Amino acid sequence: MIYEVTVGERRLRVEIASDGRFLVDETVVPAEAVETRRGWQWSVRIAGRSHEVTVLTSDPLRLLVDGNETEASALDERAAAASRGAGAVRGGHHELRAPMPGLLKTVHVAEGDVVERDAPLMTLEAMKMENELLAPARGRVVRLAVGAGTKVERGAVLAVLEEAD
Amino acid sequence: MRVIRACHELGIRSVAVYSDADRQALHVRLADEAYPIGRASPRESYLAPAKLLDVARRAGCDAVHPGYGFLSESADFADAVRDAGLVFVGPPGDVQRRLGEKTQARRLAAEAGVPVADGTADPVRDLEQARLEARRIGYPVMLKAAGGGGGKGMRAVASEAELAAAWRMSSGEAAGAFATSALFVEKLIERARHVEMQILADAHGGVVWLGERDCSIQRRHQKLIEESPAPSVDEALRERLGEAAVRIARAAGYQNAGTAEFLVDARGAFSFLEVNTRLQVEHPVTELVTGLDLVALQLRIAAGEPLPFTQSDVRRRGAAIECRVTAEDTHRGFVPATGRIALLREPAGPGVRVDSGLFEGLVVTSDYDPLLMKVIAHGADRTEALARARRAVRETIVAGVPTSLAFHAHVLDEPDFVAGRYDTGYVSTHWPPRSPARLDDSAATAAALVAVLASRGRAAGRPVASPDGAWSRAGREEALR
Repeated sequence: MIYEVTVGERRLRVEIASDGRFLVDETVVPAEAVETRRGWQWSVRIAGRSHEVTVLTSDPLRLLVDGNETEASALDERAAAASRGAGAVRGGHHELRAPMPGLLKTVHVAEGDVVERDAPLMTLEAMKMENELLAPARGRVVRLAVGAGTKVERGAVLAVLEEAD
Repeated sequence: MRVIRACHELGIRSVAVYSDADRQALHVRLADEAYPIGRASPRESYLAPAKLLDVARRAGCDAVHPGYGFLSESADFADAVRDAGLVFVGPPGDVQRRLGEKTQARRLAAEAGVPVADGTADPVRDLEQARLEARRIGYPVMLKAAGGGGGKGMRAVASEAELAAAWRMSSGEAAGAFATSALFVEKLIERARHVEMQILADAHGGVVWLGERDCSIQRRHQKLIEESPAPSVDEALRERLGEAAVRIARAAGYQNAGTAEFLVDARGAFSFLEVNTRLQVEHPVTELVTGLDLVALQLRIAAGEPLPFTQSDVRRRGAAIECRVTAEDTHRGFVPATGRIALLREPAGPGVRVDSGLFEGLVVTSDYDPLLMKVIAHGADRTEALARARRAVRETIVAGVPTSLAFHAHVLDEPDFVAGRYDTGYVSTHWPPRSPARLDDSAATAAALVAVLASRGRAAGRPVASPDGAWSRAGREEALR
């Protein structure tokens, strides 16, 4: 299987050959990897250099490499091709998502309201700090997904806006 | 945890309380006794005085240590502890009241001859009055909660256009966090350093200052790095800050450990901010520099003992620096993050201290403060302390939740910080870094390999590449060629 990998700003093609050999950009790399914690940490030796790589978070993938944090991604070729085809969000609609987990304290708008860009839509309390969530664009509130007093997870859709002229 | 450790050393029986969310917490496991006090929401557990006192009574406690969050600065709680016939480890309620309301504390400091920043003499009633006061003082100003600290309710306001929105959010925060939603207005001192002075006061009139900490590295007005000595403070300024703190403590009739906070401007002029009437999160910095155990001293003072030393006995040795490791996504504006700790490696070695409540399996929720652990390094001088801090931070691994560790690693190596050139605006001007640290080819290759292995493992629903798997053997053979 061949993977398209990014590490920070680098792009690499990584192949694990059927005989188990490891190729980077079509060159065999003399690497030895030992999993030191299942699914989370590997000790990797490459030509005598010793590296410790830990998965810090998997979505998005962040790795700790010898004490340095870096973003990374690995897609097998089929998935990489598919993701290039997708991408377009439904035109004219904006989803307001929770930027952090917390308690939705106040909802300042009602469905049907037309709001200006940067108008406060909701107040989200997280770690005892209040954060005003602002409208990403001028538009009409077509859906309020949650009400005040609800605990929300990061990434949860809170409201949907339809762009208005 | 910190208090339990002191109790164990002094042979004092320790009794912990915990909310439903904290049944597995380390303080519960380490204490001699532990009692549940209710649900995860602080108001139903850690902020419920009746429940706390009920446990104290049932367990036969002599004293209550309030820690450094929750009720640690509640005068009413200090009174309630005393009225229940117990000893409160901290200043008495009336002293806390004198200093806890910030405008009153400012007045007290001014009367004690300590410089105070221009601001309103009393809390302001409403937005209209805030507008008038801010005009009088001149923008930029700070809106602050009169009822407490910790960055809650605090906002910088650059111009009148921002005042209304800031007022609304700050009032809301203050109402949620403190007994009063009252705010006051203070002149914002730009390019200032946040320097605080640790004091100890006994019940017999003995007051000493122990040294300062620079706490300017902040986000949302909450501290991320503290160090002592402060790079910008010389011996003369140190003594003036120490004497100012002692004057305030005497004027307030202070008892126990406390901290006077100051802003020091670019010319070395200082003004009083507030007194924290409790042990502070960053107290280990002072402990490492002075060799004193502040919690043990708190307990002795609370027991009525006089301070076992005088001002001239206080010795400061070397430098110490603390990194507060938080569960936050530093790449998205330090938003709090949640998750389960999957892997943990705490640093160790010469000159390194770790104060931590972390363990593998701990679920970090949004119920409490995002502070995970403190990594504190001590050295013969600032250079050695920095080298040890840098080494310790890079040795630390916390996987499963985004943390501030990369931020700390960056700052400890960043030329302005290393040179001691920083103020409270540092984080906004120095983070995120313009050019992130680049991996060399070998490290990047190792990372790429692990990115694939980790993704394959997840896709298959199981980890791949056992140590003796076929390709790993092949790799080893390659390595031997």
